[in-house]
Amino acid sequence: MRTVRKKSKLRLSLVVVTMLLGWCVSSHATGLFSAGDVEKPNPEFTRSGNRIVAKFIPRAKSTSVTVEFQVTEGGTLAGVKGVDFATVDRPEVDIKNFKSAAFEIGIRDVIPGGTAMVAIRSDFFSLSTAFYVFNPKRTEPWIRDAQKENRVLEQRVRELVVQVRDGGDLDSDGAADGQIRLVGGPRDSFWGYALGTLFIRFFGIFFVLSLLMIGMLASGWIFTLLDRIRGGRVAAGVEKKAPAAAAPPVAPASAGGLGRPAAVPDTVVAAIGAALYLRDTASRMAPSPAPPDIGTAWTLQGRQRIMQDRLAVFCQGGRKKEK
Amino acid sequence: MSWEQVMELIVSILTTQSGLPNLMFKQVIMIGVAFFFLYLAVAKRYEPLLLVPIGFGIFLVNFPLVPLMGFSEHGTPELIRVFYKYGVEWEVIPCVIFLGLGAMTDFGPLIANPKTLIIGAGAQLGVFITYIGVLFFGFTLKEAASVGIIGGADGPTTIYLTAKLAPHLLGANALAAYSYMAMVPLIQPPIMRLMTTPAQRRIRMRQLRVVSAREKILFPLVGSILIILMVPAVAPLMGMFMFGNFMRECGAVKRLSDTSQNALMNIVTIFLGLSVGATMAAEKFLTLKPLLIFSFGLLDFVVCTFGGILTVHIMNLFVKEKMNPLIGSAGVSAVPMSARVSHAEGLKADPDNWLIMHAMGPNLAGVIGSAAAAGMFIAMFQ
Repeated sequence: MRTVRKKSKLRLSLVVVTMLLGWCVSSHATGLFSAGDVEKPNPEFTRSGNRIVAKFIPRAKSTSVTVEFQVTEGGTLAGVKGVDFATVDRPEVDIKNFKSAAFEIGIRDVIPGGTAMVAIRSDFFSLSTAFYVFNPKRTEPWIRDAQKENRVLEQRVRELVVQVRDGGDLDSDGAADGQIRLVGGPRDSFWGYALGTLFIRFFGIFFVLSLLMIGMLASGWIFTLLDRIRGGRVAAGVEKKAPAAAAPPVAPASAGGLGRPAAVPDTVVAAIGAALYLRDTASRMAPSPAPPDIGTAWTLQGRQRIMQDRLAVFCQGGRKKEK
Repeated sequence: MSWEQVMELIVSILTTQSGLPNLMFKQVIMIGVAFFFLYLAVAKRYEPLLLVPIGFGIFLVNFPLVPLMGFSEHGTPELIRVFYKYGVEWEVIPCVIFLGLGAMTDFGPLIANPKTLIIGAGAQLGVFITYIGVLFFGFTLKEAASVGIIGGADGPTTIYLTAKLAPHLLGANALAAYSYMAMVPLIQPPIMRLMTTPAQRRIRMRQLRVVSAREKILFPLVGSILIILMVPAVAPLMGMFMFGNFMRECGAVKRLSDTSQNALMNIVTIFLGLSVGATMAAEKFLTLKPLLIFSFGLLDFVVCTFGGILTVHIMNLFVKEKMNPLIGSAGVSAVPMSARVSHAEGLKADPDNWLIMHAMGPNLAGVIGSAAAAGMFIAMFQ
């Protein structure tokens, strides 16, 4: 009967779990869990000479980063502005991979039909960062191989270099008019980062706690050694003092008490006798006839106290020697 | 004053100044949710110290026209918003709670058997599995990290990390963490029995050595140096934890230690609970994310328990003196509940096998491990 009930419970739980999973998957598919873009970068631009610096908090970061834009060859940087990713979102790209969202870079003074080199620098970029370019006039708007170079500069700053031709594939205005409109953004691998960092950080915890363990093992060893040395010294001191302080041997007390020193009164002897009797009978007390109920607070507390007493007895110095 | 004017005045008062016409169905549901958690806390005694203030916070903040978590027209924060802003948003209260926890903690079992630290690390497995799991459901990296830490079974750490990375999930995360912590005696035993044989459950461990007072005094200093040097982001939590413990062990500031353990701890617990509960206003809480957080929170606890026990099994392959794998489940933190669960399961297998002190080692290691995991996540987003 019990087995049948267990089986039906198990079946019911399985059905519930399956339904929940199905519901979660369908909810995910319909986007029910996404509560808007809570990490939308909001860049602020400042210009210094021929460079424009964007400062913003990217996705998956708590602190702000800076990205610097410069036209190094073939034109002048006219301006840079942030682009709402929703306007350039396509099924072939995932917004999560674009931590810094997208930018629109305007270049002027280009020889019509000529090329310009754009450099985008930041210490936020990594070796795997690539600058993807978006051109809505193409059948496949996102261009993955637009970037010419990803090189490291000093102080861990990386530079992404994009070569763009006026009126070419990367130019969003599509006309060879001496002006270029370059839309795109630095792209990283979201899942690569998430899984990579997961692995490193999980083993990082092992590393940190292992280091602490080694430190504690070492300090424990030193303290145990010190205690042993001190214990040895104390024992040696007692041995040295013992012969000098030794009292003259006392004759053992006979049954009738004739050999008992006169200094010990009868009341003390009676008290010692009573204490010894109580101790002896207590240690041989019959166990409770009731079955042990380990669940109650009362019994647990009692057992804990017994355990503490045991701990004090078993953990006295020199226990290792006994082994 | 004519009868029409009186009627108009009454209608105006009722519609603009009384809550009844403004009460929404969502708020009624949330008041029901508050009652549910108050019931769990009061009748079932599930983490009452936290669930009572949290439940009451939910209750208070879901009445119409009650601006307890809002701002006045002049931009002055209302009552609970003040608690929230200075306590949680400024990340003060979780750290003060860690101070109290440190003052309450006796690191003796961990110092006596430092190998159990590894169990505390292994029991963080669920944190990272959940972190990846929720990413599939459209959570951002920061949200995923804050949900993952629920499995660390450490309330203040969960609140600290969530307030830092995903404050909009604070209510759901804190509630999931404290609810599942209270349910540790229900969640863990089946997994413990599933992952151990009766013979393994009967393994007796050698009595722990006595730890001297000097060792206990030095531990918070040495521990702080090593942990904070390796994971600086964890300094606020770990620093306060070790400071509280140092006050306890040095014995020179008994009054301060006593205040940290009792009065201060109780005061901040009230403010923390109310503030966290008050983040659960109907319009924010009644979405699908909290439901998913509760589901993954449970999975998180299960995998963390699994990870702790698995770590002991792996360690037993290499160590001379075998450890009872039941103590592995205590690596999920939840001090001292999970250590008690290990002990109780051990007693079921062998009524004379006393595991409580052995389980306290991984239990304390779990606190350090979950704080280290939180530090890792914080550092990841810096």
